[in-house]
Amino acid sequence: MAVRSESREEYLEAIFKLTQQPEGATVGRVADELGLAAPSVSQMVARLAAEGLVERDQASHVLLTKEGRREALRLVRRHRLSERFLTDYLDLPWDQVHDEACKFEHVLSDEVEERLAAHLGNPQTCPHGRAIPTPDGDLPEEHARPLAELSAGQKSTISFVSDEQPELLRYLSSLGLLPQTAVAVEDVAPFGGPLLVRVGRARYALGREVAGKIFVQA
Amino acid sequence: MATACCTPLSTERRSANALVVALAGNPNVGKSTLFNRLTGSAVETANYPGMTVGLNVAAATWAGQEVQLIDLPGTYALDPVSEDQWVARHGLLDWQPDVVIAVVDATNLARNLYLVLQIVDLGPRVVIALNLIDEAHRQSLRIDPRALSQALGLPVIPTVARRGEGLDELVATAAAVATGSDGLGRGRAVRYSERIEAQVADLEAQLADSPRAVPEGLPPRAAALALLEGDDELTAAFEPGSAIVASAERATLAVSIAAARHAAAAAVAEACTEGQAAAPAADRYWAATTSPITGVPILLAVLASVFAFLFFVGGWLSRLLTSLWGATASPVLASAVHSLFGYGALAGTLLWGLDGGILAALAVGIPYILTFYFVLALLEDSGYMNAAAFLADRVMHLFGLHGRAVIPLMAAAGCNVPAIMGTRVLSTKRERTIACTLVVLVPCSARTAVILGSVSLFVGWQWALFVFGVLGLVGLVAGVLLNRILPGEPEGLVMEMFPFRRPSLRLVAVKTWKRFGTFLWAAAPIMLIGSFALGALYETGLIWHLEWPLHPVVVGWLGLPAVAGLTLLLGVLRKELALQMLVVFAVARYGSRAYNLRTFMTPHQIVVYALVASILVPCVATIAMLGHELGWRRAATISAGTVATALVIGGAISHLLPLM
Repeated sequence: MAVRSESREEYLEAIFKLTQQPEGATVGRVADELGLAAPSVSQMVARLAAEGLVERDQASHVLLTKEGRREALRLVRRHRLSERFLTDYLDLPWDQVHDEACKFEHVLSDEVEERLAAHLGNPQTCPHGRAIPTPDGDLPEEHARPLAELSAGQKSTISFVSDEQPELLRYLSSLGLLPQTAVAVEDVAPFGGPLLVRVGRARYALGREVAGKIFVQA
Repeated sequence: MATACCTPLSTERRSANALVVALAGNPNVGKSTLFNRLTGSAVETANYPGMTVGLNVAAATWAGQEVQLIDLPGTYALDPVSEDQWVARHGLLDWQPDVVIAVVDATNLARNLYLVLQIVDLGPRVVIALNLIDEAHRQSLRIDPRALSQALGLPVIPTVARRGEGLDELVATAAAVATGSDGLGRGRAVRYSERIEAQVADLEAQLADSPRAVPEGLPPRAAALALLEGDDELTAAFEPGSAIVASAERATLAVSIAAARHAAAAAVAEACTEGQAAAPAADRYWAATTSPITGVPILLAVLASVFAFLFFVGGWLSRLLTSLWGATASPVLASAVHSLFGYGALAGTLLWGLDGGILAALAVGIPYILTFYFVLALLEDSGYMNAAAFLADRVMHLFGLHGRAVIPLMAAAGCNVPAIMGTRVLSTKRERTIACTLVVLVPCSARTAVILGSVSLFVGWQWALFVFGVLGLVGLVAGVLLNRILPGEPEGLVMEMFPFRRPSLRLVAVKTWKRFGTFLWAAAPIMLIGSFALGALYETGLIWHLEWPLHPVVVGWLGLPAVAGLTLLLGVLRKELALQMLVVFAVARYGSRAYNLRTFMTPHQIVVYALVASILVPCVATIAMLGHELGWRRAATISAGTVATALVIGGAISHLLPLM
């Protein structure tokens, strides 16, 4: 196996994340995701392809091979386990653990990973409600999708709220829009307008952009 | 009732002998109703610099004791993350009230108690007004006030603010708590998780050792919690890099603390509530206003009614008042002025101001402004405003506005003046600037009268439609452009949808009258002054001297007769005056047959004239209102913008039409 390097791992993670989205992974999107220039991304993708971790299809999408996917999922597992550890043991708020976990995930050996999981009680989800892959590289069904995707009449439970805008996150949490809260979409305004969401005994109109930052269990 | 005036805020306003009582609560829980019930005397609105949300302050006397009552903005929490919350928080910290009356909605106890627990964490004495208890009963919710009182360690008084029930007891309890020396009203603070409490204790100890006093007079625990919740202002009060800031930053627990507080609030609410809420029948019908299939037709019908009401009923009232004034006051004023000042330019000028000016204020004020404010208050108090905002949000987003802007924009077609004040339903200055600009570009009933009376009458209805089409396009482009140009981002919509509440006519009337007062004090005097100024120009004949300076623009660029330029100027006083004066001037210049515009203007000229008159500078009353609501600089910018737009569009059409 090739030498583990942090940047290589970042690539695999980014490609994995993008292949989960409908648009898929392209060199351009990987470059955007990692904040790098397209030519250097192209170079690295070629190296990963030589190692048999990724392949390109005709539409120039970057796809993970079976091997590549297994390695990416192991990183996702370490990332999400790290997040669990940071919230459960170090008491960091769940809206802040993502960045820290990005550093943690790269320094875990297989053994530490195993012990960490055992110590945490083999958790199924990260603090944001997303599934933690198994040690064998299986990803259980994804458990979170944006609230904005729900249609009128659907109910779910909030998994997490994106932390891109801390002020919005705080505002929503003061309204009680917090993880593990039951929500029901009552109406959706026409032309991609806001959603009318019932939370407890209150009803809120949430704009699309806001509802897109709230993730609920799928 | 009261006159709204804005005074910069300082804590020195706290008078020595008076008890200071603050009213806090979520939006739409009857807090302002309670405030109006408890005061009734002159209310002052105090503003923090740069904030559009103000604090209402009023004096009252409770059993011989002087009281200063502060109505904090309705908020869900006290985090300084939004303007209303910032003001509510500062209201509490700056005024150091002797007691806080926390108004809670009995039908949604859990969410309402969150704010109460946050206030208790801040440290003041608190009394709870358990309001809307009648609504709760109607929904078969039974809340035990004694259990609630025990759980929170606070006095709880059930109230029905709308009907004034329970207010005597509330006042007596609040006064007792404010003057009592024991722990009365101190409340039982939430015990957070052990980890959070450990961090609070740690920070508290550090604060106690710190040489600097805790800012804003906060108790140590309150300061520690605020620091842990990531309060930027408080953090800024300590030296960056100091141990306190560092330990707070290491553990910003905002969301965890919020979650714990919500859990505590929910537990208390559940323990004190019996019965499952049954949605009242009204709620089920009310749901039709937000369901797209029924809601959109309802919204269109409501908007059409608002428009029709202002346009037809307002227009009818306006004509009625004008003819009444002409039959009664005008002759009296005329004979009085003539007998005192003769028939010279001075008398003429005075009559323009007294007769024309007061009539203008009257003919705009009562039919359009009073009626619109009434309709607006009705829409707000019933809760329909939010349903409209929900459905219209996407469309308004094109202009970077919230759905709430749809009501003032529609009202603008009746009259711009109340519509500008109606933009107060928007929360940021950016939104209000965009909305006000769009309002000014909507042809009000007076401008519609000019278009119909000139283009429709002398050129043809198709051309009137053409004029309206161009105006619509101008508004659309202006909105989209402003959204791009103005700094800042449109805010994401997070708005509570209120259940239907039958509006109380008394409260709607109070609200209407308060807003009408703003028009009377802010716009009416300027209308009078404007009338005198234009009257002087006209009566002294100075206005004819303006023909030459205007010539290059009016004749050269717009291709209009020179007299038309003067009437555009006079239209600033009242828009319909532009057309009336055009006929007057034309008859003076071209002879009596000129009452027919076609005798001295081509169809193209009439179209251009109507367009320019419609876009050019809003009327004086509108400018005055813009100045009052947005500040004079923005008012001047918007007015200048309309002049530029009118010239560009008018000139372009004037040059293009002959080619078509």
